[in-house]
Amino acid sequence: MFRNTAKYVALATIGLGAVLPLTQVHAADNQRQNIVFWHSMTGQNAQAIDRVVNDYNASQTKYKVIPEFQGQYVEALPKFLSVGGTSKAPDLFQSNEISTKQLSTSGMIQPMQTLIKKYKFNTKNLRKNILNYYTINGKLYSMPFNSSAPVLYYNKDAFKDAGIDDLPTSPTYEQVTAAAKKLKEKSGRAKLSILPYGWTFEELLANQNQTLVNHGNGRKKTATKATFDNKAGKNILNWLKTNADAGTLVDYGTGANAGDTELSAFTSSQIDMFMNSSASLGNIKKNAKFNVGVTYLPRPQDVKANGVVIGGASIWLSKGKSTKAQKGSFDFLKFATSAKEQAQWSIDTGYFAINNKSYDTKILKDAFKNTPILAAPVEQLKATTINAASAGALITSMPKERVNTQNAMENVINGKNVDSELSKAVKQTTADIKDANEQSGE
Amino acid sequence: MTKTRSAQTSHQNLLALLLLLPSLIILGIFIFYPMIKTFYLSTQLTNLLGNPIKFIGLKNFVNLMQSDSFSTSFTITLIFVLFSTILTLFISYIMAIVASQKMKGIAIFRTMFSSTMGVSVTVASILWLFMFNPQIGLFSKILTTLHLPQINWLSDPTWSLIAIIGTTVWMNLGFAFLVLLGAIQAIPQDLYQVADLDGASWWLRLRKITMPATRSTIFFVTVVTLINAFQTFGQVDILTSGGPDYHTNLLVYAIYQDAFVNHSVGRASAQSVILTLIIMLFTIIQFYVKNKREGRNAK
Repeated sequence: MFRNTAKYVALATIGLGAVLPLTQVHAADNQRQNIVFWHSMTGQNAQAIDRVVNDYNASQTKYKVIPEFQGQYVEALPKFLSVGGTSKAPDLFQSNEISTKQLSTSGMIQPMQTLIKKYKFNTKNLRKNILNYYTINGKLYSMPFNSSAPVLYYNKDAFKDAGIDDLPTSPTYEQVTAAAKKLKEKSGRAKLSILPYGWTFEELLANQNQTLVNHGNGRKKTATKATFDNKAGKNILNWLKTNADAGTLVDYGTGANAGDTELSAFTSSQIDMFMNSSASLGNIKKNAKFNVGVTYLPRPQDVKANGVVIGGASIWLSKGKSTKAQKGSFDFLKFATSAKEQAQWSIDTGYFAINNKSYDTKILKDAFKNTPILAAPVEQLKATTINAASAGALITSMPKERVNTQNAMENVINGKNVDSELSKAVKQTTADIKDANEQSGE
Repeated sequence: MTKTRSAQTSHQNLLALLLLLPSLIILGIFIFYPMIKTFYLSTQLTNLLGNPIKFIGLKNFVNLMQSDSFSTSFTITLIFVLFSTILTLFISYIMAIVASQKMKGIAIFRTMFSSTMGVSVTVASILWLFMFNPQIGLFSKILTTLHLPQINWLSDPTWSLIAIIGTTVWMNLGFAFLVLLGAIQAIPQDLYQVADLDGASWWLRLRKITMPATRSTIFFVTVVTLINAFQTFGQVDILTSGGPDYHTNLLVYAIYQDAFVNHSVGRASAQSVILTLIIMLFTIIQFYVKNKREGRNAK
């Protein structure tokens, strides 16, 4: 009995000894303002975001940013909305581009513009067309952080084998189709993939300088109807139909992993052409054992390329946090969007560096020199005309619009009529916009 | 005298209530409250945060009835449930009969047949995703070898539903097989010996002994598979995400999409209510059939 007691006392002493230094560290930490930062980055990108945070925490002693992974964008958003406005809400919250309308009207966030004004931050170095997406009525709502845009990837070696010239900087649907036909002749198999995915449709539409919804893509005032029941919409579906009919199109379907399947099919030479986010460039560069070609998003022959809509995510500030916490949050965002951090972030992940000055840094210059294909997405972004179409649509029912256009694409691939599928998608999208406006009281 | 007795009864009632309280609280918080709330929300217009803002009566239900996507979801859910249940039952019963034979090495087959029980939905779906791959998938290779036209397993409206049913049946087999095997093995051997003496054929023994003796287990497996089928989610998400054009958009997946992606909690609640009613209907039928049979057995 006594021996046991002695043991416990000894254990307790050791335990206390172990805890004491910890509490001291805590005491030191307590003087630093904690900034909780919810994000949705996984794998390689999660390591990269941890790097940014660690760099920041090491760079100063006033604030401590605590990164917390909260699941993918789709999962993190409802979590944020359920705690928004309470003390449990994080100080900073990363969310994808299509939640912009919803978050900006949620009443749970502090528009970035108010802090930009308060702390006299100059956004002139940040890329204009990226800021454009997150700007509503001249006010920046969230800080862009990880941005990407779609590009066309192709297998240069396969092109050479089939005797096809490399694609030009801004290829046309007709050129892509012609290449796909030659690739099929050579290999006997379909080698082009256009994923039935709403995002692809939106981007192909913007590239033809057409808005998805009315009222300047919902940016002048709340959109009330879909506007893509026109030639541009038909061009996209007809392009799909041409390739589906010619047997040059591979269809990976609409499953949650279809994008990954498509990507690995490309790197393993199952397909030779596909469109995907520029953020996949890092992965492709690493895994493809052939010469990769990267070029702009295709356009119809008779249409001038307008450019692309920015994708990816931005960082939002919670409303109702203490002045100190907000100051710290903003300080971190200034750091995270600085030229140096964005350059490294871009190299680590494949997202754009959103700071113009990043392109003057040595690391990014070297990276571009060593891997010339990195340049195409940035060039495409620079060539993008800044207008309502390339600003991207601002509606809350974006997920539904994506399903509607996705269904139209899939149905056309499966042989249904282009005109009726397009008008069905447009009608349904308009109905969904009306429902969402009713829900938000607009 | 009566007074003490009633005091005793009320004392006993109190004790009973006290003992039931823990489970009542748990059921109340996790089952009854969410259920009542779902019924309530199904009559409301909800805002984008999922909070009710206006009473709209049955409008959510009316909208559902008029929507093409819901009628597709509803129809394919019924087709899916019907086929996946029948196929699961049929195949697992055959497997159980085969595996109940006494022969050398049968244990290996029993293990193999029940092994899908240990595979999680995600793993199974990804496995099948590889097999359905339009270029390098197993099925595509088989079709190429046989010089048959290629099938877009996951992007053709009809084939994608067949693909989902196939995957689900495969996943269900392990459990159904194991339960049915147990029931078949529990049949007294002397029944078969007597039948052998009478010179009964294999088919006759199956019809007159094995099937009647395992009827209640078959019924149990049917109900469990049926209710599970109504709640299918994972394989849909990974294989098709409800596409193409809602042709694999099973009810539970549609509910998830509406509640968490489209932020239409009212609409999602209305669909949940419909699903609850359907499952309730099946449960009532189950109780009815079970009681009827037990009543008959008692006579």
